[in-house]
Amino acid sequence: MASVTTPNGFQLDDSGTRVVVDPICRIEGHLRIEVNLDENNVIRNAVSTGNMWRGLEVILKGRDPRDAWAFTERICGVCTGVHALQSVRAVEDALNIEIPANANHIRNLMMLAQYSHDHIVHFYHLHALDWVDVVSALSADPKATSELQQSISKWPKSSPGYFSDVQNRLKKFVESGQLGPFANAYWGSPAYKLPPEANLMATTHYLEALEFQKEIVKIHTIFGGRNPHPNWVVGGMPCSINVADAGAVGAVNMVWLNMVSDIIDQTIAFTDQVYLPDLKAIASFYKDWGFGGGLSSKNVMSYGEFPAYANNHTNESLMLPNGAILNGDLGTVYDVDVRDPDQVQEFVAHSWYKYPDETAGLHPWDGVTEPNFEIGPNTVGTRTAIENIDEGAKYSWLKSPRWRGNAMEVGPLARYLVAYARGKEDIKEQVDSTLAELGLPITALFSTLGRTAARGLESQWCAWKMREVFDDMMANLKRGDMATANMEKFDPATWETDVKGVGYGEAPRGALGHWVHIKDTKIESYQCIVPSTWNASPRDPAGNIGAYEAALLGTPMANPEQPLEILRTIHSFDPCLACASH
Amino acid sequence: MPAHETFYEVMRQHGITRRSFVKFCSLTAAGLGLGPGYASKIAHALETKPRTPVIWLHGLECTCCTESFIRSGNPLAGDVILSMISLDYDDTIMAAAGHQAEEILEQTVEKYDGQYILACEGNPPLKDDGVYCLQAGKPYVEKLRYMADHCAAIIAWGSCASWGCVQAARPNPTQATPIHKVILDKPIVKVPGCPPIAEVMTGVITYYATFGQLPPLDRQGRPKMFYGQRLHDKCYRRPHFDAGQFVEKFDDEGARKGYCLYKVGCKGPTTYNACSTIEWNGGLSWPVKSGHGCLGCAEDNFWDKGSFYSPVTNLGVTGNVEHTANTVGGVLAGAAAIGVAAHAVGSVISRATGKKPQKSEEVSNG
Amino acid sequence: MATIKVATPQSEDFTGNLYVFEVPVRIWHWVHALAITVLAVTGYLIASPLPSMSGEASDSFLMGNIRLVHFIAAMVFAVGLLVRFYWAIVGNEYSRGLLIPPVWRGQFWSRMWHEVLVYSFLTRKIAKYRGHNPLAQIFMWLINVVLALFMVCTGFALYSQGTGAGSWADVLFGWVFVIEPSSQAVRMWHLTGMWLMVVFIIVHLYMVIRADFMSRQNGISVMIDGVRRFKDDGPRDPQ
Ligand code: HEM
Ligand code: HEM
Ligand code: NFV
Ligand code: SF4
Ligand code: SF4
Ligand code: F3S
Ligand SMILES: [Mg+2]
Repeated sequence: MASVTTPNGFQLDDSGTRVVVDPICRIEGHLRIEVNLDENNVIRNAVSTGNMWRGLEVILKGRDPRDAWAFTERICGVCTGVHALQSVRAVEDALNIEIPANANHIRNLMMLAQYSHDHIVHFYHLHALDWVDVVSALSADPKATSELQQSISKWPKSSPGYFSDVQNRLKKFVESGQLGPFANAYWGSPAYKLPPEANLMATTHYLEALEFQKEIVKIHTIFGGRNPHPNWVVGGMPCSINVADAGAVGAVNMVWLNMVSDIIDQTIAFTDQVYLPDLKAIASFYKDWGFGGGLSSKNVMSYGEFPAYANNHTNESLMLPNGAILNGDLGTVYDVDVRDPDQVQEFVAHSWYKYPDETAGLHPWDGVTEPNFEIGPNTVGTRTAIENIDEGAKYSWLKSPRWRGNAMEVGPLARYLVAYARGKEDIKEQVDSTLAELGLPITALFSTLGRTAARGLESQWCAWKMREVFDDMMANLKRGDMATANMEKFDPATWETDVKGVGYGEAPRGALGHWVHIKDTKIESYQCIVPSTWNASPRDPAGNIGAYEAALLGTPMANPEQPLEILRTIHSFDPCLACASH
Repeated sequence: MPAHETFYEVMRQHGITRRSFVKFCSLTAAGLGLGPGYASKIAHALETKPRTPVIWLHGLECTCCTESFIRSGNPLAGDVILSMISLDYDDTIMAAAGHQAEEILEQTVEKYDGQYILACEGNPPLKDDGVYCLQAGKPYVEKLRYMADHCAAIIAWGSCASWGCVQAARPNPTQATPIHKVILDKPIVKVPGCPPIAEVMTGVITYYATFGQLPPLDRQGRPKMFYGQRLHDKCYRRPHFDAGQFVEKFDDEGARKGYCLYKVGCKGPTTYNACSTIEWNGGLSWPVKSGHGCLGCAEDNFWDKGSFYSPVTNLGVTGNVEHTANTVGGVLAGAAAIGVAAHAVGSVISRATGKKPQKSEEVSNG
Repeated sequence: MATIKVATPQSEDFTGNLYVFEVPVRIWHWVHALAITVLAVTGYLIASPLPSMSGEASDSFLMGNIRLVHFIAAMVFAVGLLVRFYWAIVGNEYSRGLLIPPVWRGQFWSRMWHEVLVYSFLTRKIAKYRGHNPLAQIFMWLINVVLALFMVCTGFALYSQGTGAGSWADVLFGWVFVIEPSSQAVRMWHLTGMWLMVVFIIVHLYMVIRADFMSRQNGISVMIDGVRRFKDDGPRDPQ
């Protein structure tokens, strides 16, 4: 191949040294990245391989559509609940079931909590170590750390004693010689830019966030019985509300509602006083690391999420709007219609699946999932010992989803760009003030750090929105509406014999859709197109590369032996491969 | 005093006094039916034991077991990882990647041959040489076998590792296979649940770290201490079950009063787990408490046992088409009744048209 | 091994009355019939409960009572089986027919084939039997021995889940869950067993009533006074 230009405008050159990173750790699932470096160690070709497939779409065939949420929820335990939600929506759409207002509020609360949680865990536990040097934290001055902490936020855990306790604990840990998850990493690399104090602060928050994240999800526990994998039901929510009558102790009652309210306050406090200040502090040291933009400055897409009004998925109702931006033109936002057979399609030319015609794409209502593992002639190694993958042939367990033929980036950054371009006031204000604080233009968002920043902003926005949604729900309860489920069409005997539906919206990592075809009360076909499928997708028949591959191009590596730069950019998407291939 | 943190130090950091630490040790000893002499042994172990290396592998799975694990409140997941065990490999959280990550496996085998715990989340697919789960370019099952060869014991996290779980549901397109069917020569502790309860997971780990042995297991290889009873046996809605008070459909009168969820499909009567006692997310709630029946998520192959919304489910022999015992049985009984009636008619006709029962001809084959 | 004379050589006498079912067999039969009926009804109601009760939970114990009755009937059923098995050893030759169908005899199978022809109206050559005809016998054996044991094993295995690990039920019947680890599956097989019993009852009732009309010996009354009455004095297989 040597050098080619892809239809979506990226220059690929596979002539240089090939570097393989497999496993990519600190993600969900199994991902392989291969890149080619030129003589200056700049990435000139990138290949993203999804390493796993379980076959949920195949497994769902013939089952009761009301059970599907439980199966699809197990697509992923990290973004738990998001597939369940799109699944019940898909079935409700197919059967024309309208859900009660409270069910909509509860679903929004659970999803908002999911976003806040997922983003916090991602930032601190999956992404931070790309920017934060834990070992350097050992040499920090706890007093200086305390001053730094107090200068950026009013978070109460900020005394020198507190930081020195944490530091001592870390010291002991390191001195034990058993480094656990921190072993063999890239500590001391010149790519780390934070001073020791910032490293100690961030490492401390790694532990605090680990302790705090388990609180946010209690919103799922209250309404869905547990987390991960809370419970849902077609037609609404399974939790009944009873705030006044006998038996209230056996339902969602005042005590639990108060607890939800409390958790919302804590989440707001944590995102306002820890996450966002940390994010800004860390970003300020990496301002000149402007790599990883990839598709973000070209094509981004959001299906929209959080309907303020039950059963209304138009932009009037959606708190995060629907839309697609092409070629970086923020002035034009296209409506995305997931039902339109010409808009959303999946290709398998480079995927380990079989289509009748692999040059064409299929809309998910006509989708086919038939595994077909075969490796290309230029593979180095064998099918069970792959050293270098051949991206000219099939090379991933992910399909390649495209919108009107375009590879799209999805995720928090895409959502924020669409909302920004659509003129959503709350989002605009939040973005503008943060950029102003850091002294950066909006184009700074088209980068690895921009993606990471958008995720942080969204986590905070979600915490705020939870408060609004909660208040709306309480107002609705005050009006006397206690209903949480509409069971009119729960009985399959009431269903039409041949119907199709789609559940679509956003998950923490981006646009998510489930398309179902129900025949004689059983699932005839079920197809999911998942955020990480969009972002991590292999090439399509036309040669368009996906978001991961695009974002890696042009990045210089300080030391090809230490793939920190690759990790930074790939992690900025928060990969989920179990989701992506399902 | 060794450089690493011990249990005791962790407890002290959490404000627990020496006195209550000693009390904790004697209570633990008593709780396990051990003599008073053991209390000091336990105390000693907690004060000095080096951390057990744990290698946490991921096969085909959804990572909700890891997610559940980090929800543990007592002990905190952070304390477990930093102070109680040495989590030397876990691709979901480890800092290293690529070959630096894989090197750790080699180092562990070298340094701790026969001493580390292999914690398995998810399971290996066996179909087509295992290409449905590749890691570092090779089928996961190879890594699993290699690391199992050198470990002391295996913890099979969740229903994936214990039973197969969702990817092994019919038609199991990748031949996803639970750990005990792949590794035959090592002690395996199954900790089923999809996912298991966080505190059950950390409870199993701390038991091992404290007592240096695997917990006693039941017939199916699950720790007796957490899987000894069905949810139904300790469910707070049980009085409504016994009284015959049921939720007939979601959000009805009974639902708002907390009636029993049996008729909307609760599998509590056939599910062994600690949900109704330990509960989830710090003892806050559990599926039944939130109004949805138990799916039976800790049970073998609960995905193929039929509807989640009916107490009577399919027989596991009819493919994906759901044939519940009651429909099959009803049809059979109906067919028998019809058959009998038809036969009676036949008999009457036969009698009317023929002679009496014959008694004068030869039975050719009697 | 005692000879089983259910299918008697043609030379034997097939006239007059014959005392076939001894008192214990008859008592057992009716106790057994009652237990199965109670088990089937209560079992069905356990699987598909009655409409929800209102009022306080402490005011009723409907489901609890249904289960209690099921368990009492189950004990009767199980003990009854044991007694019946015992009687098969000490009782008369007809008491063994139910337990040990003489499947090793060619004659057993040829006569069974003959009965198939009879019941499909393909022959009118009706034979006489002192005990059960081979077809009835194998059917009886499958349901009242094999299936009955299956119901006892699965039933007590389910019961052991309530009484707990280490209880007598667990010690004796816990092995069921080694064969089938899923208790939901065991429950559903147990329920399926009930339906097979229902099928048997329907067919059995029909057969005994029909016997009074269509066969050459009596039906219902043989289980009341134990006496087999032949309606004609011809040989078993008339020439
Ligand atoms: C749940 C209901 C019932 C069950 C499970 C049942 C079971 C049995 C069994 C196991 C035998 C064989 C006894 C032996 O050889 O030791 C038998 C024979 C018999 N049963 Fe029943 N029975 C039931 C109901 C009835 C009823 C309601 C009647 C009367 C109307 C009846 C009449 C007879 C007769 C007459 C025989 C003797 C058949 C023969 O050898 O000619 N049974 N039954
Ligand atoms: C002819 C014999 C029997 C019949 C027809 C019968 C029928 C049934 C049926 C239909 C069920 C409901 C299944 C479900 O859960 O959906 C049931 C449950 C049960 N049966 Fe039986 N059964 C028989 C014998 C026994 C025996 C011998 C035992 C021994 C104790 C037994 C113990 C149980 C238990 C423990 C349950 C579960 C009850 C619960 O969990 O609430 N059964 N039976
Ligand atoms: N990609 C993805 Fe998910 C998310 N967010 C789901 O739809 O992570 Ni597991
Ligand atoms: S057992 Fe369930 S929860 Fe655990 S990884 Fe498997 S699917 Fe996820
Ligand atoms: S809700 Fe479920 S576990 Fe609780 S009593 Fe009813 S059937 Fe049993
Ligand atoms: S679904 Fe699973 S979480 Fe508990 S209540 Fe049932 S075992
Ligand atoms: Mg798909």
